[in-house]
Amino acid sequence: MKRNLSIYWFTAPALLVLGCFFIYPIGLSLQMSFTDFKGVGEANYVGWENYDRFVSRSRYMNAVWVTLKFTFAVVVLQTLLGLIFAALLHRMPAIRNFCRAVLFTPAMMSFVIVGYVWQFIYSPSSGGLNAVLELIGLGNLTRGWLGDPDTALYAIAVTHVWMFVGYTTAIFLVGFANIPQDIEEAGRLDGAKSWQRFWYLELPMLAPSFTVNIILSTVGTLKTFELPFIMTRGGPDRATNTLSLEIVNNLFGSYKFGFASALSIIMLFIVVIVAMIQNSYLRRKEGNT
Amino acid sequence: MTLQKFISWAAQATMVSTVIAMLTPVIYMIAMSFRTAAEIIEKPLGLPETLYFGNYANALAQMPYLRSVFNSISITLAVTLLVALLGSMAAYPLARRTSRFSRIVIMLVALGLATPPFVTITPIYVIFRNLGLLDTYLGVILAFTALNLPLAVFFYTSFIGAIPKELEEAAKLDNCSDWQIYWHIIRPLLGPATATLSLFVTLMVWNDFTYPLLLLTSPEKFTVMISVYRFLGNLNVQPDQLFPAAVLGSLPLLVLFIFFQRRIVSGVTAGAVK
Repeated sequence: MKRNLSIYWFTAPALLVLGCFFIYPIGLSLQMSFTDFKGVGEANYVGWENYDRFVSRSRYMNAVWVTLKFTFAVVVLQTLLGLIFAALLHRMPAIRNFCRAVLFTPAMMSFVIVGYVWQFIYSPSSGGLNAVLELIGLGNLTRGWLGDPDTALYAIAVTHVWMFVGYTTAIFLVGFANIPQDIEEAGRLDGAKSWQRFWYLELPMLAPSFTVNIILSTVGTLKTFELPFIMTRGGPDRATNTLSLEIVNNLFGSYKFGFASALSIIMLFIVVIVAMIQNSYLRRKEGNT
Repeated sequence: MTLQKFISWAAQATMVSTVIAMLTPVIYMIAMSFRTAAEIIEKPLGLPETLYFGNYANALAQMPYLRSVFNSISITLAVTLLVALLGSMAAYPLARRTSRFSRIVIMLVALGLATPPFVTITPIYVIFRNLGLLDTYLGVILAFTALNLPLAVFFYTSFIGAIPKELEEAAKLDNCSDWQIYWHIIRPLLGPATATLSLFVTLMVWNDFTYPLLLLTSPEKFTVMISVYRFLGNLNVQPDQLFPAAVLGSLPLLVLFIFFQRRIVSGVTAGAVK
């Protein structure tokens, strides 16, 4: 009994760190979100004023909408592309590891660097993308990709997918590897074609990989900050102004610590609610198959 | 049969070229870094005709690059050490005891893993300011340790769970304390897990932007990404500055990836699948 008690002390240092950097800050954030704290001086209790401001100004609802649109675009594109790459590579054992490593390479780079490089690729005057379009005779498609409110957010989404599609592919490949050999073998003996095996045998068995991929990329994308910060600063016309960007701007642009805290709490709610809905929906789907 | 072989060969060749085409932006970045600004504006897609190192000389002269590489490496080492020690200590009881206490701790760790950094960044800034930790190495090290710790706890918990209990039981019969068992039996076995974990920490410390941007203000303390950002800024980024800085900022990790790609990819996916 004594031994049972003492061993839990091993968790104490880690708990201390968790307490100081997650639990206490979340509590402090909640408390600050009901004040007009400006970083220095008195913090006055203002009730729900910060949250009122959030719902009553279209600017902030727009930031949530931009964040959700961006997340949706990234998750759908990245999951689909990753699935296609994994399904093909699963059938090509000779080149599988090489391709997996190459696809993974962009994830080694920082958002900052990727943001700068792609900003230049998209740039209207001497950027790589417009030059390629001219070269292949699609000159009429050229534009300032990041300067146009209709394309800016999706241009950034493509950059984000480029960075992390290797991650999704690698997770799907683990899912493919976990499909029992005899199931694939039985399908083959029954004369199922490659795409039939994919659609009827493999796809249903990949449900757990879908869950992991979708939840990971959703949670990772909802907090997007660096790419729009570097590439567009939230513009043009706030078309890429995500919630994280809004938090940092309120914090260090206008020193509205109280309001920034309210935005943080709203963000935490959005992440938790979206993850919970996805988790229960995807797990139910897993159970059905 | 030969036709089938040819089709399969062609499919694989197509796949390899598609995948390599995905690396175009990386190759573009490296190629552009050796061209003068005038060349880039004149012919946006051309390859460098001669290897022009002037961009690099300028970047290295204006950016505290070597100093920031040293900072990033030192911070990484400190964070790895702290995370490995605290993470594996906490993981030992969690892997060996299934009690209500263990479950509560695991829930707290999961909370830490799921919390977006933007939720805690305002309060951490305020706390650090009150404690005088802004613009200190210690502050950045603590913040990164906290960010990496939840993953480390999960990582070590599953790793320790796979270690057979026989050794520990023998040690218990010899009246070893729990601490002695952890320190002399468990800890020496954790090498492979710690190696993978240290790669994660390196990746995160090297590439993370938000925390050092908000916490560090003196140029001599900047990590690599902050010195790249401060060098390039936000407006009117010049290509002859952008590309060499981007290469200098990403090259060390790309080289690391070439050597450890198997360990990095399988570590990241194993962490995700569990």
